Amino acid sequence: MRWLRVARSPLGLTATVLMVTLLALAAIGPLVWGSDADVVDTDQILAPPSAEHWAGTDNLGRDILLRVLVAARLSIVLALLATVLAVVTGALLGAAPFLLGKRSGRIVTAGVNIAVAFPGILLALFFAVVFGVGATGAVLAIGLAGAPSFARLTQTLVAEVEARDYVAAARTVGVGRFRILLRHVLPNIAEPLVVNATIGAGGALLSFAGLSFLGLGVQPPAYDWGRLLFDGIGTLYVNAAAALAPGAAVVLAGLAFNFFGESVAKGLGVPADARLRPLVRKKRVSTPGSDPDVVLDVRDLEVTLAGPAGPVRPVRGVTFQVRRGEAVGIVGESGSGKSMTALAVTKLIADHGQVDAARLEFLGDDLLGPRTAQQRRTLGTKLAMVFQDPMTAFNPTRRIGAQLAEVATHHQRLTRRDAMTRAVDRLGAVQIPDPTSRARLYPHEFSGGMRQRAMIGMGLMNAPALIVADEPTTALDVTVQQQVLDLLATIREQDGAALMLISHDVAVIGDVCDRVLVMYAGRIVEELPTGVKPLHPYTRALMDAVPDMATDLSLPLATIPGRPIDPADVPPGCAYAARCPLADDHCRTVDPPLAEHGTGHRVACWHAGEELP
Amino acid sequence: MSELRFEDVTVRYGKHTAVDGVSLTVPDGAVIGLVGESGSGKSTLARAAVGLAPLAGGRITLDGAPIPTRGRRPLQMVFQDPYSSLDPRMTIGATIAEAMPRGVDRRAGVAHLLEQVHLDPSTARSLPSRLSGGQRQRVALARALAADPRVIIADEITSALDVSVQGAVLNLVRELAGLSMLFISHNLAVVRYVASHVAVMRHGRLVEHGPTAQVLAAPGHDYTRELLAAVPGRRSKP
Repeated sequence: MRWLRVARSPLGLTATVLMVTLLALAAIGPLVWGSDADVVDTDQILAPPSAEHWAGTDNLGRDILLRVLVAARLSIVLALLATVLAVVTGALLGAAPFLLGKRSGRIVTAGVNIAVAFPGILLALFFAVVFGVGATGAVLAIGLAGAPSFARLTQTLVAEVEARDYVAAARTVGVGRFRILLRHVLPNIAEPLVVNATIGAGGALLSFAGLSFLGLGVQPPAYDWGRLLFDGIGTLYVNAAAALAPGAAVVLAGLAFNFFGESVAKGLGVPADARLRPLVRKKRVSTPGSDPDVVLDVRDLEVTLAGPAGPVRPVRGVTFQVRRGEAVGIVGESGSGKSMTALAVTKLIADHGQVDAARLEFLGDDLLGPRTAQQRRTLGTKLAMVFQDPMTAFNPTRRIGAQLAEVATHHQRLTRRDAMTRAVDRLGAVQIPDPTSRARLYPHEFSGGMRQRAMIGMGLMNAPALIVADEPTTALDVTVQQQVLDLLATIREQDGAALMLISHDVAVIGDVCDRVLVMYAGRIVEELPTGVKPLHPYTRALMDAVPDMATDLSLPLATIPGRPIDPADVPPGCAYAARCPLADDHCRTVDPPLAEHGTGHRVACWHAGEELP
Repeated sequence: MSELRFEDVTVRYGKHTAVDGVSLTVPDGAVIGLVGESGSGKSTLARAAVGLAPLAGGRITLDGAPIPTRGRRPLQMVFQDPYSSLDPRMTIGATIAEAMPRGVDRRAGVAHLLEQVHLDPSTARSLPSRLSGGQRQRVALARALAADPRVIIADEITSALDVSVQGAVLNLVRELAGLSMLFISHNLAVVRYVASHVAVMRHGRLVEHGPTAQVLAAPGHDYTRELLAAVPGRRSKP
């Protein structure tokens, strides 16, 4: 299926056609035209192109076009032989450090590193002299010259797989190094090696033509394209076609191998440029004079992403509001769409996804409308985003202070000095000790907790109305986690900022938030104030499944059978039905709406609050 | 009788001392919880036990004898990330069978082990990509059990899992009672649930060690108190 799609693309189609032609030519060329190509015709020496000899004849009157066609086999076979030699030698050298262990491995690695530094053609010339002039020498020369780069590639790939836990696991169960290499390492690095070998074959073909052209490759009476090119160049002014025909063959064959390699890479890899068709926008709900108390107003939010097998919708109709100074938590498992919701409301879903909603307003500003300077300003100054991994959220090459100050120079038009003062002040506000000197440090000189606080400090450069924090403490240790959560709570009290906290940890959300949204398979399945008994079976199971410091040790933990929904494959009806003990046929066919169950409590379940069996 | 004993173990990476003179015993049939924050040296201690980290001092013994570093180790490790601990190109059955000693009926053994970790025996024919994180982690446990170990080391085996499947793995750990286990986690509530004894590490040193109930009820070290105070969910539950 995937290969078919690749073969149908313009690149794939060209590659397939060229490759098939080339291989067919190599297979039948010498059989069909072999004897005709050797016919010497002394009446037609160095004849120009004619109806009889399309590319003219050589100095013995032999037909050049036929010779080019016949030469395909030798040229391709020699190139492939050289490639095989390069890949095998390279793979052996590359895998050697893994088999030999650290000390001897280091010597091999050093040797490969030195060999890689030499230009390939230089090595080829060197080996050609060593092994003698002729086809065998040339194959050895080109093969060995290509080996170092394959060795380097193999080495890198092996090192990557070696660090995987499954290799460590195999080692602890007593599997020998050689067996590990064969069973676990090689199968997992085969794909990139094959792709590179195919592209390498194109390179070998060109190098071979080069060596033969220099007279170091195939020797008469045998001939390949390089040799024909060499002969043709001598008579270039008499008959240009004599040089052009083998030249064109080399170019076409080289392209065939390269295109083929590219296509193989495309077939093995993940399709990168899947595009979405533009959505038909929903009818907007525009109620004039929106509530000034609402910071964020989201209605029927949908996010569509391009997937390998068509569009995927990780967020399917989410509606909620965040009021001034309120803390709203979103809980859900991986794939529930909680992070996508956060990215959508902060306009951080780039071109690979599409956001649609009946309404998406931040401080009364329509975020679905065209991007304006005003909108960017509002988002830049009134909305702060805190990410899970503060290390990747900072630029590692710039000092923390300067990165914070940039926000103020950009949005508030402060001078650099004033912005720096503000940055130091904000670092102090997020409880970073000695902020003046710390502002001059780089991100990697901060601990994880300090980086996360600095990230929050960056959000506080202006006076945000909303802080969106996506798993802000997941990468942190428990004691540090507490400090960061406390900090968020303090900021909320002091500055009156609203907080949207996204986490997989029910306990963390419970500590910090006033209101909780529980997401499952791209929908909100329950919305409840903190401290209220949950009614949705998923929320209940989620809370029972997590051990806390008061869990009864004599009972097994509650579990949720099955696995979370794949956003690419959402069933009809309630998405949780397959895992729910209360589910019946109605649940499996009709998706329950989010319905009111008391003040501020909404549940999407046909059996809300029923006793669990 | 399988007693894993760390005696004054020190591990250094260059100048950095990751584990600093740790002495700890995992008695026969007991589950010892090892808690501490990232960089406290708890994972390094585990890797040292299975020979994946070099010792700079001290010794690690199993029933008084040094642990073999070649061939099938009597210590098996279950890793944190279930997405990197199973070979993506090997079927579940082959992965588990690889760990089994020679000369046993592998097919029956695999089926038995899969049943033991509550997976359908037909899972043996699938590749890891068909399984959820929790199922993969159970396969990893089955592989560790297949090697017929005397001690199992579980390194943060639930921290990469979604909460809905974490419970199943923890229940399984409790069902394996009778097997000596070093259970490493940063989550005190999880350790409280599975371990009879708990050891607390900080900056490469062991700061407190004792029966779980006692350590959690009356922590003796300031750092243990700090850890306990930081456990979320102590203020209110939603």
